[in-house]
Amino acid sequence: MGLHNGDKMMRYEEWSKLARKASKRSLWMVHFCTGCGAIEMPPVMTSRYDMERFGIASMATPRQADVLLITGYLTVKTLRRVIQVYEQMQSPKYVIAFGSCTINGGMYWDSYNTIKHLEKYIPVDLYIAGCMPRPEGIINAFLELMKLIDEGKARGWERYQKYYDKYKENQRRVFNFEVKEEKEEKEQKREKNEEH
Amino acid sequence: MKEYELFIGPQHPGITGNMMYHLWVDGDTVTKAECNVGYLHRGFEKLMESRLWMQNIPLVCRICVPEPDVNEAAYSMAVEQLMDWEIPDRAKYIRTIVLELARIAAYLMAIGSYAGSIGIYTLPQWSMGDRDYILDIFEQLTGARVYHIYIWPGGVRWDMPAELPRLIEKTLNYIEERLKLYDDVLFENRVFFDRAVGVGKIPCNKAIEWGVTGPNLRACGYGYDVRKLEPYAAYDEIDFDIVSYPDLGKFDAHEAGDVYTRMIIRRLEIEQSIAIIRQALKKMPEGEHILKHPNWLRWKVPEGYAFARVESSKGEFGYFVVSDGGLKPVRVHVRGPSYTHGINVAEKLLQGANIADVSQILFSLDICPPDIER
Amino acid sequence: MKSIELLGKGEEMHGRAYIKLSADEIEESIKKLKENGFNHFVMLSCVDWLDKGKFELVYHMWNYEEKEHAMLSVDIDRNNAVMKSMSHLFPQIETYEREIHEMYGIKFEGNNRLTPFLLENWPHDPPMRKDFDSKKFVKQMYESIPFIEGDENEGI
Repeated sequence: MGLHNGDKMMRYEEWSKLARKASKRSLWMVHFCTGCGAIEMPPVMTSRYDMERFGIASMATPRQADVLLITGYLTVKTLRRVIQVYEQMQSPKYVIAFGSCTINGGMYWDSYNTIKHLEKYIPVDLYIAGCMPRPEGIINAFLELMKLIDEGKARGWERYQKYYDKYKENQRRVFNFEVKEEKEEKEQKREKNEEH
Repeated sequence: MKEYELFIGPQHPGITGNMMYHLWVDGDTVTKAECNVGYLHRGFEKLMESRLWMQNIPLVCRICVPEPDVNEAAYSMAVEQLMDWEIPDRAKYIRTIVLELARIAAYLMAIGSYAGSIGIYTLPQWSMGDRDYILDIFEQLTGARVYHIYIWPGGVRWDMPAELPRLIEKTLNYIEERLKLYDDVLFENRVFFDRAVGVGKIPCNKAIEWGVTGPNLRACGYGYDVRKLEPYAAYDEIDFDIVSYPDLGKFDAHEAGDVYTRMIIRRLEIEQSIAIIRQALKKMPEGEHILKHPNWLRWKVPEGYAFARVESSKGEFGYFVVSDGGLKPVRVHVRGPSYTHGINVAEKLLQGANIADVSQILFSLDICPPDIER
Repeated sequence: MKSIELLGKGEEMHGRAYIKLSADEIEESIKKLKENGFNHFVMLSCVDWLDKGKFELVYHMWNYEEKEHAMLSVDIDRNNAVMKSMSHLFPQIETYEREIHEMYGIKFEGNNRLTPFLLENWPHDPPMRKDFDSKKFVKQMYESIPFIEGDENEGI
């Protein structure tokens, strides 16, 4: 993956295969209830649909976590904080998106404050269908994520690094921050073009 | 000492959901608190103005996430007021049973989350597991665990199946036995007593002026409950008591309006709800379960202003519906109980509190951010 | 009904009292009802009548002894929406006025906490007004943002 010395590349591949095999059995998730779907998380975390038997536990800070769960819709105000949490997590990190609101806007498709497609702002590894997904569905998704990690296909964090500028531009368009400055820049450019 | 600014932010296990409190702290005491909400604002009221009357019901139940049946009931009652409809008796009893089961589930979740905030981590594991048996009853009755879409204007969607009363009776017996274990672990625990008595007191002579409702108001000494003041569903035909300070059953009463009294009142109201469900199952009459609806695509509700209120586990839920005789509502305004609890009351109670008690005070007021900002 | 007797006008609508007042009488009326048992302030709502060109503010109050609900309604002009603030009578009215200011654009004089409440960095029109088209806004703001190209399983 970037190193082209014959011997070194082989050892790196074997080492990362072993690391993935170990890390898939101890995924820690960030404790962040972002939307409606968070009401089905306590049954998954406690004794009925126990998720600790797969090695998954909930963690208070993003620095110590591997998985970020986006449970449902996201408003623009929460998206800013979710991006800060996502950028504080350390690689390799994964994102699971719950529900139909992250896929195409879901029930709030004509609301002025929710974002409609999560894939434009954060790279997503796995989607769970439903409104809202059942606890058995959530556990099935965790097992599917473990399989993807084992095969080396869950590479959202690498996509974020590669296309960083495009993600940042999409995020800024939603946050309305540089509305005045962009308007002034556009006017200046238009004046320059007219002069020429 | 210098004053520090602390953000108890949206990603935190010590607050009840997705909201933020901005605190100014001097040493160990909080000098000023400000609430910052808006992280869950979906613009429900704007969405409801562009959908037909029946299309609003799946939207309405997503306003309060831990207890969605209360919203469906209040919206349906407001539409029935405008149409001048009287629902059949069997529907009234079924609505009572559904609302009381939702209340028990919400109280179990509130008690579990509160215990987690003071460090007794066994109780959330137990209470979330017990609450799941109630969600199993809902799944057999309505088809879904969390969002039921079951209470419609004019009655309820389907009739109750014949085997359900036996399952309900079995679950209620199980929960009654478990309550004794909860007493051992939390309510008769010396740690709970030392941490909760005298903390976070609401001044009782100003409680109504501040807009406090629900179990928080009953903990200040007022015995007001919407189920007795303005009976809806079948509550006027069922016998039950209102639990308020200072009659706290087998527990001793200490100070009015503090964290201890609020949690004890929630614990005692679970027993009252169990008694209500048993009476309703015995007294349920036969009959129709819903009135006949007109064609939904052409249903016009007559002009007027209607207000319906319902007692939820957090306080008083109110719906103000305005219609001008058209296919879609002109205005639907939702009043959640946490609007006053989470913003005005919490900001005043957090002044002068220890940092270690901030989480406890917020969980005991039972604040739910989706119904502040819809 | 007691509120209709105290204020001298109004009608009963579906079991509630609905009283129409002018903008000058509203403060006296709320004080009079508050002294006579109506000590629970339920909420403050705003209805936008676009064709009639007015905003209608409705103050809801509840009496625990008489079990009566009163709706006091005030009309304001839509193009010049200014109203006196009632936050000195009940402390929670301050939050209701803050939200109505953000969602409808009505100015309340005397309330010095009219800061952004639910929306952050919102430079467009107040969203709850009837002439704010939310479907057009969604298309222009959210649907026009492009997807990121690239293969799903592509890495560095």
